[in-house]
Amino acid sequence: MKKKRSMAAARKIEGYCFLLPAFIYLLVVIGYPLVYNVILSFKDTNVKNFKAGTSVFIGLDNYITLFQDPTFLLVLRNTFVFTIGSLVFQFTIGFLFAMFFSKKFTISGPVRGLLLVSYMMPMSVTALLARNMFGTTEGVINDLLVNIGLISAPIEWLTSTSTAMIAVVAANCWVGIPFNMLLLTSGLTGINQAVYESASIDGANGWQRFRYITLPLMKPAILSVLMLGFIYTFKAFDLMYIMTSGGPLNSTDVLGTYAYNLSFTQYEFSLGSAAAMVLFLCLFVVGLLYLKLIAREDD
Amino acid sequence: MSKFWKKIVSVGVAFTMAGTLLMGCGGSSDDSSDADSTDADSSESTASSSDAKEVTLWHYFENEADDLEEIVEEYNQMQSDIHITVTYVARDELMNQYTIGAVSGELPDIGMVDSPDMASYVSLGVFEDITSQLEEWGELDKFYTGTLSSCKDSKGNLYGLPNNSNCLALLCNMDLLNAAGYEDVPETWEEFEEIAAATTNAGDNVYGFSMSLIGNEEGTFQYIPWLYAAGGSVADLSSDKSVKSLDFLSNLIAQGYLSKESVNWTQADAYNAFIAGKAAMLESGTWQIASLDDDIADAGTDINYKYCFLPKDETYASVIGGENFGVCTGSEATDECVDFLTWFHSAEKNGEFATRSGKLVVREDAEEYNELIEDERFAVFSDAMEYAVARGPHESWPTISEAIYTAVQGAAIGEKTAADAMAEGAAVVDPILEETPLPEQ
Amino acid sequence: MMKTGYFKSKESRKNIIYCIIALLIAICFLFPLYWLISMSFKTDVESFGKIVTYYPHKFTIDPWLKNLQDKDFLVSLKNSFIIAALSMVISLLLGVPAAYGMGRYKVPGSKGFLLTFLVTQMLPASLMLTPMYLIFNRVNLLGTYFAPPIAIAAGSIPFIVVTLRPYFKTIPTALDDAARIDGCNVLTAFLKIMLPAIKTGIITVLVISFLNGWNDLVYSMTFNVQAEMRPLTANIYKFQTKYGTKWNAIMAYGCILVLPVVLIFVFLQKYIVGGLTAGAVKE
Repeated sequence: MKKKRSMAAARKIEGYCFLLPAFIYLLVVIGYPLVYNVILSFKDTNVKNFKAGTSVFIGLDNYITLFQDPTFLLVLRNTFVFTIGSLVFQFTIGFLFAMFFSKKFTISGPVRGLLLVSYMMPMSVTALLARNMFGTTEGVINDLLVNIGLISAPIEWLTSTSTAMIAVVAANCWVGIPFNMLLLTSGLTGINQAVYESASIDGANGWQRFRYITLPLMKPAILSVLMLGFIYTFKAFDLMYIMTSGGPLNSTDVLGTYAYNLSFTQYEFSLGSAAAMVLFLCLFVVGLLYLKLIAREDD
Repeated sequence: MSKFWKKIVSVGVAFTMAGTLLMGCGGSSDDSSDADSTDADSSESTASSSDAKEVTLWHYFENEADDLEEIVEEYNQMQSDIHITVTYVARDELMNQYTIGAVSGELPDIGMVDSPDMASYVSLGVFEDITSQLEEWGELDKFYTGTLSSCKDSKGNLYGLPNNSNCLALLCNMDLLNAAGYEDVPETWEEFEEIAAATTNAGDNVYGFSMSLIGNEEGTFQYIPWLYAAGGSVADLSSDKSVKSLDFLSNLIAQGYLSKESVNWTQADAYNAFIAGKAAMLESGTWQIASLDDDIADAGTDINYKYCFLPKDETYASVIGGENFGVCTGSEATDECVDFLTWFHSAEKNGEFATRSGKLVVREDAEEYNELIEDERFAVFSDAMEYAVARGPHESWPTISEAIYTAVQGAAIGEKTAADAMAEGAAVVDPILEETPLPEQ
Repeated sequence: MMKTGYFKSKESRKNIIYCIIALLIAICFLFPLYWLISMSFKTDVESFGKIVTYYPHKFTIDPWLKNLQDKDFLVSLKNSFIIAALSMVISLLLGVPAAYGMGRYKVPGSKGFLLTFLVTQMLPASLMLTPMYLIFNRVNLLGTYFAPPIAIAAGSIPFIVVTLRPYFKTIPTALDDAARIDGCNVLTAFLKIMLPAIKTGIITVLVISFLNGWNDLVYSMTFNVQAEMRPLTANIYKFQTKYGTKWNAIMAYGCILVLPVVLIFVFLQKYIVGGLTAGAVKE
C-alpha cells in the first residue's frame, strides 16, 4: 500500500516538473502585465494627471464610461461579428480542405503545402495586399467581379461602413484557413483507418462515417482549434489597423485597435486598460466554456 | 529514483544558470555602444577615456536623415562636451517609445516630435522644461510664433525648439487645366469647384482634385485649411462657417470631383494620384517639392505644374506642420543638449538645414540663409505661411483631432450630413476646450 | 504510375479528378499570392495605373533590388533568424514538456493550469508593451536579442500546450509500459518514445512557433530601438513613408519575407508526409 501511494505521489511530482517551468515562465512574463492593466483600469490615469501622478482609484467608473459610449458598444459588437464570422468560414473551409487534402492523390502534399503560404506571410504585408486588392476603382477584386459579371458597379469595399467589415473578415479568413487546415489535418491523421474500414463493412455511408467517427474522434482537435482561433481572432489588431485603421467610422474597429487607440493615441491610459480588460473578460468566459467542454471528453 | 532526482536537480540548475546569465549579459549593450553603425563616419567612442558625454538623439527623418547626421557630425567634431549618436526610429514606433518612456523613464537625450504631438508629450513629462536656458540664449523673438508655440505648454514654458516647418498649398496640373479651357489657377472656392468639375473625366478615371481625408492626424492636417478658409475654427466646429467648409468638400466627393477613396488615402497616396495624371489639382505639402520632378520623370507623365495658394472663401488659409526637437527628461547632459539645439537652430544653421533638406525655416532671420527661397515653388509655401494656422498646441490635441477627422469622414463617405457630423465633433471638442482653451493664433 | 489502361482504372480517374479540384482550389485561393508577386515586378506607375493589369506590362526587378541591395538587408535577415530561432527554442523547451505533463499525468488542478495557460493569451499585445518594457528594463534585457523572443514565446507556449495536449493523451499506455520495461526513466521515456510518437504535432508547433518569431514586428521594434538589431519585418517602414507607399517594393519585401520560411517548410514537408502515411502512432 505504501509503495503504491508513494508511486502515485511521485508520478504527480513528475507531472508537475514537466508543467511548472512553463507555468512559472508565463506567470512572470504575463502576470505582471496583467496585474498592471487591472490596476490601471481602476484608476483615472490620462495625459492630464499622468505627470503629476495624481490619478486616483475610481473603481468601476472606467467600465461604466465605456459601456455608456455608443462607439465602444459598436466596437464590442464588431469584435464579436468579426470573430464569429471569421471562425465560421475559416473552420468550415479549413476542415473541408483538411479532409480533401488528406486523401492521397498525386499533388495533395505539395498543394497543401502551398496553401500554407498565406498563413506564413506577416500580417502587415497581408493587410497592405488586402487594402490594395479591395480598392474601389483600382482594386483587382472589383475588377474581377465586374469582368465576370457578378456585379455591375464596383463595390466600395473600404469606404463604406456596410462592406468594410466583410473585406476585413475575408482577408482574415485567407490567413486563417491554412491555420485551421494544418491543425485539423494533424488531428485527422490520428484516426486509425481501420475504424473507417470496419464501419464501411458494417454498411455506413460517407456522411455517417463522418458524423459518427470523424467528428467524435476529432473532438479534441476541433475544440483546440476553435478555442485558439477564437482567442487569436478576438484580439486581432494588425489586420484592421493597417488595412482600414478601424474605419471608416469605426466600422472595423475592434477591441484590440480601440484599446490601442485609447492608450497610445489619446493617452487615456486607464480607459485603454479597461477596454483591454473587457476583451480579457470575454475571452475568460470563453475559456471557461472550453474547459467545461473538454472536461466531458476527458472522462 | 535517485537518478530521476538528479535529472530534476540538473534541469533546475540549468534553468537557474540560464536565468542568471540572462540577467547579467543584457547590461552592456545600450544605445551608446552602437555609435559606429548609425553615424556614417564617427569614430568609435571610447567611453572610458574621453570626457565627452554620450548623448542619444532619436528622429524619424527619412530623406533628410543624411542631412541631419552630417550636421550632427559637424557639431560632434567642433566641441568635446558631448558626442551625439543619431538613431532613426520609424515614426509610429518613436511615438510609442515616448509613451512607454514616460512610464519607464527610458528616453533619449534629444527627441524629435511632430509639432501637434509635442504638447501631449510635454504633459506626460517626456520633455524637459528648458525655458530658462532658452531665454538666456535670447534669440526666441526671432522665431515665428506659430512654430514656437508648438513647443510650449499651457503656461508658456518652452520644452524645445521648432526645427522646420511646412504648410499646404495647391498644386495644379496645368496641362489638364489648359485642356479644359482654363489658363489660370483658381483663387476662390467657386473658381476651384468650376475647374474641378471641368477637369474631372470619369471615363479616364481622372479626378479634378486629390487630397487625403484619412482617419488620422494627416486627414485633420489636410482639412484644417478649408475649415479656416471658410471662417470656421476648431473652437467652433458647429458654427455655420465650419459646417460650410465640410459641406463644400463632401459635395466635391458627391459630385465625383474628388475620389471617395481619399478617406483611405495618405497624403502620399493622394500625391501618387496626381503624379500618375489621375488628378488635376492636389493639396500638396512643402516636403513634396524635393522629389516632384524626379517622380514625374519616373512616371513618364511629363506634367507641367504650377503652385498656388489653396483657394480662399472668406480668407486664404493653410496649416503649419513641421518637426520640433526637445530635450527629454532624465538626460544627464541637459545643458549641453540645449547648447546643441541653440547651435542647430541659429539663423545660419537653420537656413542651411532647410536648404539641404528642402524645408522652410522657423525664424525670420534664417530666411536669407535659405537658398530655396529663390525657387519660386518654395516661395509660394513661404508666402502661404502668413495665412497658416497652428494645430493646438493642446495636450489633448489627439482627441480633438480624432473628433475632427471622424466628422470629416462621416460626411465624406456620405453617411452623415455635414451639420450632423460637425455637431458630433463639437460635442467632443467643446468640453475639452472649455477646460483648457486653445492659445490665441 | 502510368500503365496501359491507366485511364480506365477507377482509382486513377478519381486521382485525376482530385488533382483537378486541387488545382482549381489552389488557383482561386492563391490568386492574392499571384497578385503579390506580379505587383512586385511592376513599375511604380503601373501599380498605381489607371487600369488593372493582370501581369506586369513593363517588367522590372527594381523593387526587388531596392529590397535586396538595402545595406541593412543581411543584418536584418540575421536578426529575424535569431529572434525566430530563439523564440522557437524557448517555446519548445517549455511548452512541449508542459503539454506532456498535462496530457499524460493526472495532476490535480490541471484545469487551473490549463486555464492559466489560456488566460495568458487573453491580453492584447499592445497593452502588454509598457509593463513588459518595465520588466525588461529592470533586468537589463532591453536592446538585446533576448527581450523579443521572451515576449513572443509567452504567446507560443500556450498554443503548444493546447495543441499538443490531445496528442499526448492519445498515446496508448502500452507505450509507457514498453518504455518502463526497456529500462527508461521518465526523461528518457519522454525524449525517446513520446516525442517521436507525435512527430507530426511537434513539427506543426515547431513551424508555427518559428513563424511567430519570424513575423513579429511590435515586440522586436519596441524593445530594441537600435537600427542594427531590427528584423526584416521592420523594413516595411522603409516603403511606407511620407513620400509614398511603394506598393511594388512592399510586395517584393513580402515575398522575400516569406521565402525562407517556405523553404524551411518545403524541407520539413517530407517529414510531415512521412508522418502522415505512417499514422500518428507507430504500431
